[in-house]
Amino acid sequence: MSSAAAVEGRPLAGHTTRLPWPFPDDLDSFRYSVNVEPARVPRPTAAGEWGAHIVDLGGEEYGAMMAERRRILDADPHRVRILPGMLPACWDLLLYYLRDLAISFPHIMELSEDGDHLHWRNHALGTDQSFVLGDAASLPYDPMTFLGREIPDDLLLVKERDGRLCFDAGLVTFAAAWSVSFDVGMTMDEIHNPVPRLTKEGITSRAEQFLRRLPADQVYRRVNWTLSASGSRKLDVSLEELPAWGTDIPALVRDEEWGRLQLRIEVEHFVRLPMTGAVTFNIRTHMTSLDEIRRVPPWRDQLARVVLELPEDLATYKGFADYREPAMAWLTGEVTA
Amino acid sequence: MTSPGHLHPSYDVSPRPLMVVEVRDLTPEVRHVVLVDPHGTALTPHEPGAHLVVTTTPSGPDSGVTKRNAYSLTGDGVLPRQYAISVLRKDAPTGFGDESGGSVWMHGLEVGDVIEVEGPRSSFAPRHDQRHCLLLAGGIGVTPVLSHARAAVRWGGSVEVLYSYRPGHAAHLDDLHALAEAPGVSLRMAVTVDETLALLRDRLADQPLGTHAYACGPPALLAAYLEAGRAAGWTDERLHLERFSAPALDPGSPFSALIVSSGRRVDVAPGTSLLVALHEAGVAVPSLCRQGVCGECVVPVRSGRLEHRDLVLSDVERRAGDRMLSCVSRGAGPDELIEVDL
Repeated sequence: MSSAAAVEGRPLAGHTTRLPWPFPDDLDSFRYSVNVEPARVPRPTAAGEWGAHIVDLGGEEYGAMMAERRRILDADPHRVRILPGMLPACWDLLLYYLRDLAISFPHIMELSEDGDHLHWRNHALGTDQSFVLGDAASLPYDPMTFLGREIPDDLLLVKERDGRLCFDAGLVTFAAAWSVSFDVGMTMDEIHNPVPRLTKEGITSRAEQFLRRLPADQVYRRVNWTLSASGSRKLDVSLEELPAWGTDIPALVRDEEWGRLQLRIEVEHFVRLPMTGAVTFNIRTHMTSLDEIRRVPPWRDQLARVVLELPEDLATYKGFADYREPAMAWLTGEVTA
Repeated sequence: MTSPGHLHPSYDVSPRPLMVVEVRDLTPEVRHVVLVDPHGTALTPHEPGAHLVVTTTPSGPDSGVTKRNAYSLTGDGVLPRQYAISVLRKDAPTGFGDESGGSVWMHGLEVGDVIEVEGPRSSFAPRHDQRHCLLLAGGIGVTPVLSHARAAVRWGGSVEVLYSYRPGHAAHLDDLHALAEAPGVSLRMAVTVDETLALLRDRLADQPLGTHAYACGPPALLAAYLEAGRAAGWTDERLHLERFSAPALDPGSPFSALIVSSGRRVDVAPGTSLLVALHEAGVAVPSLCRQGVCGECVVPVRSGRLEHRDLVLSDVERRAGDRMLSCVSRGAGPDELIEVDL
């Protein structure tokens, strides 16, 4: 399917053509599953393509996203939580990602190595930093924060303790109604207990088994989705910021501004870091409005089918049980603008 | 679907050629071998206590017979430029799971030789949240212990090393003495069985809260370590160990395995492992230690009662009954039929 054929009206923007559409072409009903697949495999969508690299810098949106990330980190240091003993894993993470970025985006990012001495340059953001791996004093921030100020992904590290995988370090500025300070140190079970069906149907334990056995030579990814708790592109709908977004959706529903509803898509990447055995659960969040989705008919029709078919408990958990019918009716209705 | 895995070459763990740049005798029986990438690429980082798998050809390079031998890395694993291993020469065959040929072959290596190496692989890693680290080495078991000690020093942790050896046969004792110069590091030695037992009882009874202990050495030493640790009130979750050989097993009862994909039935006689029986039936299962220690040869099981004889699976995994290590574990009882999901 060519992307042009799928489009009505104005030409699609870069944002839409890069979007990681979360559903396979033939999917009509969504249930949680261990939907992991090898990473770095480009996937065509009805509007374009995504997934060639483990980091999606976001094209023309990169600068704005990183400014927002840095603003949040400066304003609220509690968005970074590193439990005792996890600093080596944070160095492991930093080294892996800087090496990967320099190969994936050689025109804007460079890393030179001389033993433990590294030199990182990011020409898009103006970063020019020499440092010594493992020497905290050689970086302006801890290694996880340094990386988090260079790429838009939320950074999460899990590591085994007494046979359980535990979320023991994280930098999270774009959480979907959760808080890194609340969740850090929890096991996978404890974190996922609020999700209906997930733990009872054994999905959490299968996902945990998958991560525990994640092979050293492969990188995997998974796509997750919901309708955002905000009627704007705002990525930070964390519990810390609840007062700032908590009334967004009730106001949107009252005014029936369905076009502003946002499909929130999260692409997770799983890498076993070799120096420490920590596993990444990094999350890159994408947003697209129903207004944009309406312009790609295969997306429009599939999203409406999936949202309307979803059982009540899952729709309630995802937060749209109360308004999904009028919203989807607007999405698939006659365009009257 | 295939994907490129890691982009950077310094994350490769697949079998690949590495070049010997140094061989050095540490004791009359222990030879230190240092390997680098032939192209000068930085090597894959690894966890403390990790090992390499070396492809050896003890029957000669033209025999077509290869063996895979595991050797612990002695470095801290942080951005390694080289991999260093120390190999104890075992001349007399030791029976089941014999690795003597491999060690003799390793001792024949010379500077400039290129050998096939897989890994590093990690199966004896430290707990990241340990507040203190107690390490016990017996004989050649010093190799992963040295790796742990170096990593602890590198990351600013505190560590106490206990080293039990025969006088004149203490590989890496000089390296441990040098490490013990660093703040937070201490070294204690024992050269007889009685001294070792006394040292174990004494030190396991006097560690700070939050300590994790790690031991590598011969079976008798590990048994004494576990006994002394439990007697001093340690939980098994804090008593880590790596075995380099397993106790001898009895031949077991005959049983049969039904291969789900083909419907074929394979009979396993006493003294033969499921792994060998499957191999003879043309079903390839990857294996490494063939002693129930490494976990490489695990096979999924759909039905049938099992007698687990490995040292890898947890109690929970055993009770689940859905997998077994095909090198040592068997059907429970005579003529049991198990279904293997291969």
